[in-house]
Amino acid sequence: MQVVDSTLHVGRLALPASPRAIRAALAREVSAMPLATRVWYALLLAGLAIGAVTAILALPPGWEVMGTSPSIEWGMLIVGYVFFAIMTSGLCLASSLGTVFGIERFLPLEKRHAILAILSLSTAFGVIALELQYPVRMVFGAVLVISPSSPMWWMGVFYGGYLVVLIVEVWTLFTNHPVIHKYACTGAAMIGIAAPTTLGAVFGMVAAKPLWAGVFTPILMVASAFVGGVSLLGIVFWAVSRFRLADWGRSGVALGSVRLLLAGGLLVVAALLARQVADGLTSDVAGFRPSTLAMVAGPLAPAFWGLRVAAGLVAPLAILALPRLRTVGFTGLASGLALLGIFVDRSLFVVAGEFVPRTTMAGTVAYPYVAYTPSLVEIGILVGAASFMAMAYSLCERYLPMGEGDVHLFWPWPWLRHHEHGEEADAGGGAPEAPAAAESGLAPAAAAEAVP
Amino acid sequence: MTEPSEPLDRLEPLDQPQPAVGEPSAPPAEPAVAGATAPGRAAATAGEAPADAVLVPLEAIAPAIRQASLSRRAFLGFGLALAGGVAGAAVLGQLFPVFASAGDQVSPLVPNYDPATKAWTFVVDTSKCIGCGLCVVACKEENHVPESAAFTRTWVERHVTMTDGTVYVDSPDAGINGFPPTSTAPGAGGKTVKSAYFQPRLCMQCADSPCTSVCPVSATYTTQDGIVLVDARRCIGCGYCVVACPYGARYITPAGEDTPAGTPGVADKCTWCYQRISKGQQPACVEICPVGARRFGNANDPNDDIRTAALAAGARPLHPEYGTQPRALYLGPALQES
Repeated sequence: MQVVDSTLHVGRLALPASPRAIRAALAREVSAMPLATRVWYALLLAGLAIGAVTAILALPPGWEVMGTSPSIEWGMLIVGYVFFAIMTSGLCLASSLGTVFGIERFLPLEKRHAILAILSLSTAFGVIALELQYPVRMVFGAVLVISPSSPMWWMGVFYGGYLVVLIVEVWTLFTNHPVIHKYACTGAAMIGIAAPTTLGAVFGMVAAKPLWAGVFTPILMVASAFVGGVSLLGIVFWAVSRFRLADWGRSGVALGSVRLLLAGGLLVVAALLARQVADGLTSDVAGFRPSTLAMVAGPLAPAFWGLRVAAGLVAPLAILALPRLRTVGFTGLASGLALLGIFVDRSLFVVAGEFVPRTTMAGTVAYPYVAYTPSLVEIGILVGAASFMAMAYSLCERYLPMGEGDVHLFWPWPWLRHHEHGEEADAGGGAPEAPAAAESGLAPAAAAEAVP
Repeated sequence: MTEPSEPLDRLEPLDQPQPAVGEPSAPPAEPAVAGATAPGRAAATAGEAPADAVLVPLEAIAPAIRQASLSRRAFLGFGLALAGGVAGAAVLGQLFPVFASAGDQVSPLVPNYDPATKAWTFVVDTSKCIGCGLCVVACKEENHVPESAAFTRTWVERHVTMTDGTVYVDSPDAGINGFPPTSTAPGAGGKTVKSAYFQPRLCMQCADSPCTSVCPVSATYTTQDGIVLVDARRCIGCGYCVVACPYGARYITPAGEDTPAGTPGVADKCTWCYQRISKGQQPACVEICPVGARRFGNANDPNDDIRTAALAAGARPLHPEYGTQPRALYLGPALQES
């Protein structure tokens, strides 16, 4: 590491080391960008600015800048935290099929998933830090005061450990440490199930909110996590293919895998959602039926049927089912719709759970529904969070070697041994992308589309 | 949209140029780990084998595991870093009283007060309450509760049953100013009243309190005499206890001069005036109630009025189906409705 002419040399990297050099480097970068890229970054910077201003407003404890009240204490920031946190787990669950279980068609999901997972979890932590009144106490308090009866404490344990494991996973991915990487991938996959399960338990153990309570809540959370992560991968690999980003030739394989996983995940989520609604409508637990009715036939019904069911479930499933729509673009569209559906789903879940209070809350009688409108600060923080993640990922795509590493060690799964001995020629020769794309279910048109 | 056009931005990958579909992908620059591949596979891995097919057979795992010095060193490194982090946090905990040890006296105990001899019990007689709201006033003054009706430790509800059987509940300004002649609940106007009663509400001090068990930092705790308190120095303001309380007895304090304990953004709730009862006084709401609708005492004392009169009259908790075992009990029409 040395500094020569205002330039810091670290290995092969040459970084500007003075304000003037930084300005010059930035100017060079911006002038080298096409107009559309500049517009993209400008939009993200605007989103980040909105997020920064609203975050500053939300920092002092007790400031009444949120739309929440004792009657609806958990609002859109909790939704945002849940959304980004479960997306992390979904990314790991999807990629584990390749990185842990060695299934070839899922291998191209690895490097981008790992970057996205870290960014998603960091974003989730940022959002929850702004939701909490005293986040620093949370960090130290959770370590010093063990509270095993609290699902939230366990959630902190798992997601805290998750971040460590993901950092190790990304580090080993970029620095070529396959042995540690194997353990990190396996750890991430296991925590990928445990973490959203405990997040589901945070809601599932609240008997005071019948819509949240129950053993199916953690299961629904894991399923939602899976769909969220897979659909984000679908959007990213659509962009990789559309804009010819690093290693784009393999995005056909990745999108084929996304189609398969997304279809399965959406079907499971649809079944769990139907179960939840049927259970709620037939339940005699006080408050359960009114909460469910508020969601499916009350003030929340337009969002439920329009965004959650039609746009978030039916439309992507239809796109995935129709052979004519098996193209890169439509796979990206289905992924985007599914991700929208997951966000709306988590929003409805959190809000509808508190929407019909069973009791007077701290002296306030809310009848028949609690009044809750997300404040501009809450919306601004979510805009900032999404912008942060998109900006950080865009920078990763631009400056990191995002081509898949293909450096893997696997556990001695029986199918890999069979594969090794039975199809050694293929394994040794490496299946090129076109057959893999065809195998992945992409129509010839889509496979051709991946090749300009 | 489905037909790729000119890319917006041709990002220059730092690795090899991208192969087109149908062409073999470029070989990796170096084998994954020299010892991680079997001898027979090493050449293929380093040579013509494309990287996405590096499926390592069982026998190849062994040499990789023999490179244990790498993973062990890394493992020890992480372990040491983790231990250092915990130790650092422990030191910080000692330096800052916010994270005082669990052995500290975090409850406002007073000298000569023996909590082990107490079984505090609160009984509300809804047949006596007149809805004057004096209890709400006394509570706010005694405990520096914010003036806003949205942040209230104790409040009074009016339950009105109409001739058609519907029940309307209202609590204008938490009952602090008393009640207008007719119910303010939406839809109650124009209906004929069959019966009505006032129901004072407060923290039930549940023996199996959800707010205590869900707190991620144990800021909510139960004293030896059964009162559920909040340590404002530990509370992180996550609101979990607020959503978990089935009786709606909690709120997060807003900013302001009258914030309880001088700390905005923490969970707050009725403590049955612990600062008073541990000194032998009655809770403020009990003391001010003009009709004796609120009664308080030590159920361990066989001569206490709470035992001889209130409990003997058949006081029971509201909504026992919640399963939280409340220590606040009720008499009168509220029991029939509950």
